[in-house]
Amino acid sequence: MASETGIPDVTDQRNGIVERFDSWIGEDQSITRALAIYGALALYFVWFLVPVVWLALSTVKSGEIIQANRLIIIPAAEHFTLSNYELVLGNPQFRGMFINSVIIAVSTTALTLVLGTLGAYSLSRFTYPGRYTLLIAFMSTKMLPPALILIPFFLMMYSLSLIDTYLGIVLAHCVRALPLALWLLKGFFDDIPTALDEAARIDGCSHLRVLYHVIIPLALPGIAVAAFYTFVTSWNDFLFVSILSQGSGTQTLPFGLYLFQSANTINWGATITAATLTAVPSIVFFVLIQNYFVEGLESGGMHGT
Amino acid sequence: MAAIELYRLMPMFNGAQRRLERFVDEARWFTRETWLGYGLVLPATVMMVGIIIYPTVRALWISFNARSLLSPEQVEWAGVANYQQLFSDSVFWLSLEHTIFLTVGAVVTMYLLGLGLALLLKENLPGMGYFRSLSMVPWVIPPVVIVIIWTWMFQVDYGLVNLILQKFGGPNKSWFGDVGLALPLVTMLRVWKDAPFVAIALMASMQSIPESYYEAAEIDGANAVQQFRYITLPNISYISMIIIVIETIAAFNSFQMIYIATGGGPVNASEVLGTYVYQQAFQEYALGYASAVGAVMLVLLTVFTTVYIYLEDTE
Repeated sequence: MASETGIPDVTDQRNGIVERFDSWIGEDQSITRALAIYGALALYFVWFLVPVVWLALSTVKSGEIIQANRLIIIPAAEHFTLSNYELVLGNPQFRGMFINSVIIAVSTTALTLVLGTLGAYSLSRFTYPGRYTLLIAFMSTKMLPPALILIPFFLMMYSLSLIDTYLGIVLAHCVRALPLALWLLKGFFDDIPTALDEAARIDGCSHLRVLYHVIIPLALPGIAVAAFYTFVTSWNDFLFVSILSQGSGTQTLPFGLYLFQSANTINWGATITAATLTAVPSIVFFVLIQNYFVEGLESGGMHGT
Repeated sequence: MAAIELYRLMPMFNGAQRRLERFVDEARWFTRETWLGYGLVLPATVMMVGIIIYPTVRALWISFNARSLLSPEQVEWAGVANYQQLFSDSVFWLSLEHTIFLTVGAVVTMYLLGLGLALLLKENLPGMGYFRSLSMVPWVIPPVVIVIIWTWMFQVDYGLVNLILQKFGGPNKSWFGDVGLALPLVTMLRVWKDAPFVAIALMASMQSIPESYYEAAEIDGANAVQQFRYITLPNISYISMIIIVIETIAAFNSFQMIYIATGGGPVNASEVLGTYVYQQAFQEYALGYASAVGAVMLVLLTVFTTVYIYLEDTE
């Protein structure tokens, strides 16, 4: 802004920069405080991320330097190779397990979301005796030691001849994820004002139509978080697959990785590359929903009640 | 319904009829709503009862049997023999000790580290969004991959930890194979995986505290520690209770990462109840005994959760 004398106002300009700097740093932050916070965060992230980055970097190193007793962080051009990825992705067994993992995780997510949405709508919008007890009962199944359930679970699946089938594994993963998914969804549904669905009810919508046309569209962020949680529970599981999967037909990546790692400790290049590829889908899914995640924890059932 | 038709025929019952009709309508509406409510939650309930509750009850029953995985059809009543065996089983007591060490160690450490991280992440500084997202990476990685990441870090000769230690003249050894270090290391893996979740959950709770509370405290001259003590802490106590219950249960039941990382070894150095049940059931084929160990786990957890929630609630 030019002042009355026609000379540009120097102090104004400087204030502009200062203001921009202040707003960039955040209002009531001093520089030393900000640096201290970044410093402390750096310590955390060395611990969190260095192992992950080290693993990912090692996958592009050639065999002789992966297993060399020398500290090489970024490989030189002649040691850079994608052969580990060619080896792993070219392996039909790995591809088969990847497809099994996708089929199981996607089916689990679909089944859990259908059951969870219907159940959460009921718990959120209806009043009937035993509603609260039911919710507590659902959550308290998380307390049962997986190791204890495994035994009768195996016997049950054995007598239903569901060993080595997708269905057996999907059912197992579904009941592991359902309580928390239901709880999250109920929290999100509770946040939608009942006035909205009452209005729709007066206009003659049935409950299922209210759920489909009012609740679900408004709760999509919550449903995304529940879907992410369910997907990761299923994708990451080792325990249930390890007892329900007897042949390669239903083996998933984490279980295959375990077998591969314990059978073959010599070829670290292939092991860490397969491990990296196994972790990618979970991380990608998280990146996609990350904005909803914190919001989900804030509203989804984490407050009172 | 026929009764209503009958009343309608008799004019003198008109008032009563209207009242009755309204009552019937309301009752019908109420039962329809209630039944629909039950109906909607029924599929999920059937699923949980069939696939979690029923197996658990059956497991408790199996714990009173002598039963082998080699011939699962052959069942023999054993009374409390499996439970008596527990008392003289030194590996069971060792596993229990390790489980308590792991649970207390992991939950306390991850809560304190998570709280520290939450206080940092809630700050309003440039780039903080990236830090929040990146901090969740350990939590979403599959446990099998976590174990591979860390065994790779601690590998003899070419693991990063040994490479760096050697630069400073430190030892070069197999860390997971060390009797004294196996249990602390698997405890560390749990903390590494779950501390980010604790942090993000606490941060979400801290962000919902109105800024005006802090402004008022500042005017009253409260310093940072007092603000934390009198504003932040009371407002995150509920979520802290939930986190501690969830994480204690998870740590007490932990199985996957330990089984994959050390298999309970070396020489039972990292054997916990979870791995012991699995080993007894699927390697020793002693289903009855394994179920008894599992039942003891369930009882201990139930007692802990009940007492803890009761204590926290009365405060």
